[in-house]
Amino acid sequence: MLHDIFIAPFADMIAAPDFLMQVLWEGLVSGILYALIALGFVLIYRSSRIFNFAQGIMVVFAALTLVGLHAMGVPAWISVVLTLAVMFGLAVAIERVVLRPLVGQPDIILFMATIGITLFLIGFGEIIFGGENKVMITEELGIPTGSWTLEPFGGLLILEQKDVTAVAVAAMLVVGLLVFLNRTQMGRAIRALGDDSQAALSVGISLRTIWVLVWFIAGIIALVTGIAWGARAGVSFALEVIAYKALPVLMLGGLESIAGAIIGGLMIGVLEKLFEIYWGQPLLGGNTETWFAFVLALIVLLFRPQGLFGERIIERV
Amino acid sequence: MNYTARLAAAAMAATFAASAGAQELNLPNLSYRTGPFASTGTPVMNGQADYFTMLNARDGGIGGVKVNAYECETGYNTEKGVECYEKTKGDAIVTQPWSTGITLQVLPKTNVDKIPILAPGYGFSAMADGEVFQWAFNMPASYWDGASMILKALGGEDMGGLKGKKIAFLHLDHPFGKEPLPYLEKKAADVGFELLPIPVGLKEMQNQSAQWLQIRRERPDFVIMWGWGAMNTGALTEAVKTKYPMDQFVGIWWSGHSDDLQVVGQDGKGYRAISFNAPVEDAPVWADIQKYVIEPGKTESDEEQRGEVFYQRGLVMSMMLAEGIRAAQEEYGTGNISPEQLRWGLENIELTAERLDELGMTGMVPPFSTSCGDHTGHSGGWMLQWDGAKFVKASDHLQENRDEIAPLEVEKAEEYAAANAPWPTQDCN
Amino acid sequence: MFYRAAGQFKTSYRADQALFPVRQDAMLLGFILILAWVVFPLTASEFAFQTLLIPILIYSLAALGLNILTGYAGQLSLGTAAFMGVGAYACYKMVTLMPWMSPVVAILLSGVFSAGIGVVFGIPSLRIKGFYLAIATLAAQFFLVWLFEKWAWLYNYNASGAIQVPNLQSFGVYVSGPQATSMVQYYVVLAVVTLLTWVCINLTRGTTGRIWKATRDMDFAAELIGINLMKSKLGAFAVSSYIVGVAGALFVFMWRGAAEPNLFDVPLSFRILFIAIIGGLGSILGNYLGAILIVGLPVILGVLPEVLGMQTDSALAEHLNTMIVGALIIFFLIVEPHGLAQLWRLIREKLVIWPFPH
Repeated sequence: MLHDIFIAPFADMIAAPDFLMQVLWEGLVSGILYALIALGFVLIYRSSRIFNFAQGIMVVFAALTLVGLHAMGVPAWISVVLTLAVMFGLAVAIERVVLRPLVGQPDIILFMATIGITLFLIGFGEIIFGGENKVMITEELGIPTGSWTLEPFGGLLILEQKDVTAVAVAAMLVVGLLVFLNRTQMGRAIRALGDDSQAALSVGISLRTIWVLVWFIAGIIALVTGIAWGARAGVSFALEVIAYKALPVLMLGGLESIAGAIIGGLMIGVLEKLFEIYWGQPLLGGNTETWFAFVLALIVLLFRPQGLFGERIIERV
Repeated sequence: MNYTARLAAAAMAATFAASAGAQELNLPNLSYRTGPFASTGTPVMNGQADYFTMLNARDGGIGGVKVNAYECETGYNTEKGVECYEKTKGDAIVTQPWSTGITLQVLPKTNVDKIPILAPGYGFSAMADGEVFQWAFNMPASYWDGASMILKALGGEDMGGLKGKKIAFLHLDHPFGKEPLPYLEKKAADVGFELLPIPVGLKEMQNQSAQWLQIRRERPDFVIMWGWGAMNTGALTEAVKTKYPMDQFVGIWWSGHSDDLQVVGQDGKGYRAISFNAPVEDAPVWADIQKYVIEPGKTESDEEQRGEVFYQRGLVMSMMLAEGIRAAQEEYGTGNISPEQLRWGLENIELTAERLDELGMTGMVPPFSTSCGDHTGHSGGWMLQWDGAKFVKASDHLQENRDEIAPLEVEKAEEYAAANAPWPTQDCN
Repeated sequence: MFYRAAGQFKTSYRADQALFPVRQDAMLLGFILILAWVVFPLTASEFAFQTLLIPILIYSLAALGLNILTGYAGQLSLGTAAFMGVGAYACYKMVTLMPWMSPVVAILLSGVFSAGIGVVFGIPSLRIKGFYLAIATLAAQFFLVWLFEKWAWLYNYNASGAIQVPNLQSFGVYVSGPQATSMVQYYVVLAVVTLLTWVCINLTRGTTGRIWKATRDMDFAAELIGINLMKSKLGAFAVSSYIVGVAGALFVFMWRGAAEPNLFDVPLSFRILFIAIIGGLGSILGNYLGAILIVGLPVILGVLPEVLGMQTDSALAEHLNTMIVGALIIFFLIVEPHGLAQLWRLIREKLVIWPFPH
């Protein structure tokens, strides 16, 4: 028993290094996507203290809009632009209809409201686009679909070009976002709102504009995630469940930290894959990925209640 | 426009139905056109609905009685399914529960409510035992039949080719996916192959990289898939990615959906799925469907969908139900049959080659017949193969090993009855 | 008019703090109890039993359990469904291992198991707060559902991996399984729900309830005035999980008749959280109002077109249904964030002083 837990997995790793590399790569790719979704959460949470459960359905909605528009005969890149317009419209609508009347309510009420948004979008999306699985317009968007086969240590390592593209685009998005948040006036306003909303409001930062902006950015992230994930497994409402995967990432990384979301996402992506392949499947009957991330995050939280990168929680009576 | 037109049509139908009085055969279908499995559900539901629309328009129903085939949407959700069952059971003469989860819950209730439960190609394999499962029917073939046919297709008539091989069984971690396990485990011991069950959680359907890494590590000789809905696409894309040879990858009939294969297109060439129905493009029944359903615009299906295996499977399912109704009508000499009478009818389906010819559906399903003791019919089936653009028939007619499955059916049926005592049974001799 | 409190004089502090300071409240409750115990069972159809009465009661009970934890003790939980699952599986194992046991006793005992598991998963609450805790309870949710799937002993090595409720008798009547009539099951559910509601009302009014509320409002401050946070929080987890576990056992044994593991997945947790929040956190009445809305509304929306003589596309109706429920949740949150219970409180206050508003 002890041998199976502590020795055999590592022996496996050393015996087949190419396979280990493949596992790490797969973990990295999922991790990037988790990080992207978590990033959407963090942005909204920082600026409005809203825990946006609707991020998952926004991913589906964006991907469906893109595919749906293309199916209507709109050229691929124009569809992307139109989808962005739709996501902007969605951001404005959510701010107007849902958030504005709920300003100042307790966190849990706002959280519930985002679940309400989720249900509404599921019903709405199914009426408009239908429930069947759709193919992501990967080739039309110019994303390469082939794969590179490497042979490290005389083994086999397959790198899907679309995964590489996803990683590259995600990295670019993150860098762009960081530049936006740190170097532009709008970005600074978002951060100011996150640091101290009262002070930010008093120096003339418009809460409404920022909220629309933040939800729109979350929409852009949703679209990128939707394209990347949709290219892997098609676009359907089943994609919505990946939102749950972002939650432990947030716990691990801290709700306010952008760096935390990225590092937490990568960590969880890689670790859960390693655990599943080397411990979960041989010892526990598999499918441990459903809970591993949560349990890992829980254990980390017991030692650091604010996550690895979260702001220190200081309570005063 | 589509929906308003349909709503108007439905409203019209409702007014007509009301004036026609109670002389109707109510055939509710607990459909799922929503949710993660909608992609597989929708074409089948369309096929089912279109067949009855055609019968109504062409023959004025079955035996002169109009058919009222309506849907109650479950989204593959068990709770909704039970709600639908309760809602529809009042005047229904049959119930079609669709998901294995709903079947599980509805099955004991049908004993009390005395409504036949029709689960074509799904539900429990042990339902074949008509003595124990009086009210349940799963023709034309059960999951164990399917598993047996797949093993025969892979290992030859006596499955001897599988000796010493390793077979991965990639399945949905759900009652549906676990269903063939007892049979596969038994065969693994008998024939001497290694069975490697790989479950896919409901939340992991779209992201199966862990499962396929395991397949890559274990290097199985064959992968058998029990998948549904979004799981199929997930598995196929991963298989392409890991360069698993497609001709060693075989699915059950619910994993043979054209839409799922379209995601991988040419890369999926060589993938096979067992099926109890096969697409026949020039079957005579098409002329009637075209004339009575498509031209008047009474369908939700589209041109592309109608060529698919799943739509045609819907037609076959409705045909079997219609045959059951016909048999009951002839036996009891009444058009408006009761659920009890339909139960008799479903037990006495004689779908011979001649009868299929009359129905214009030759080649779409193998001939079979049911009896009091055999509620499945065991039609056997064919291997369908993806040629890069569509599924084509790729084998001769395959028949499962009845003598291995029958004892297992009796055993599991008795187990079920014992666990649910008191469980009413019937005597067929 | 109906609620005129004039003439009802309080002569002692005790009377002033009584459960029903206004006599009409007691009469209203009596009226509701008569409806639930006598009128509904005599008039309800099978469909009403199965889709409205029984599920509303069971969901209310589950929401009540959650409300103790979230509404009274302030610990947000998203793992309710998993604890229901613990109750259901515990009950299943008990009746199959000990067939002589009365199913009603088994149902009441099954809560003990979920209470134990609840306390274990409640331990992180001593260090983690707010959304972090909420996500931590999701760990329980996903881990337990996974366990229900993998641990074959729990479902007696059934090939399908699902549990099926056996036919069981109590006092010579079938109480569970397909042989049991809806009426009997309704009465069992009603009796359990009435009992536990009575316990909860008194628990939340007394010392325990006040300790919980102090913990909810600010746990540091509560600790400073001498409240033992560990006892208070873990106690809340235990009581809450007990009720939720019993609700889970009722859910499967008195209503569904069979269950597969993913029945107890996240959507069910969210559904119960909706009920608790729409009904009103920190209120007992709210759970019932919330359950009537969340469980009853979709059923009524589903039946409505037929009653009106319209025949709609059932898939379209289902989608519209999802949309409407989502929109209603947002609507109610905006109109009355403190839930339906608060709405009723306002109406009642208006009625008490009617027709002379301030």
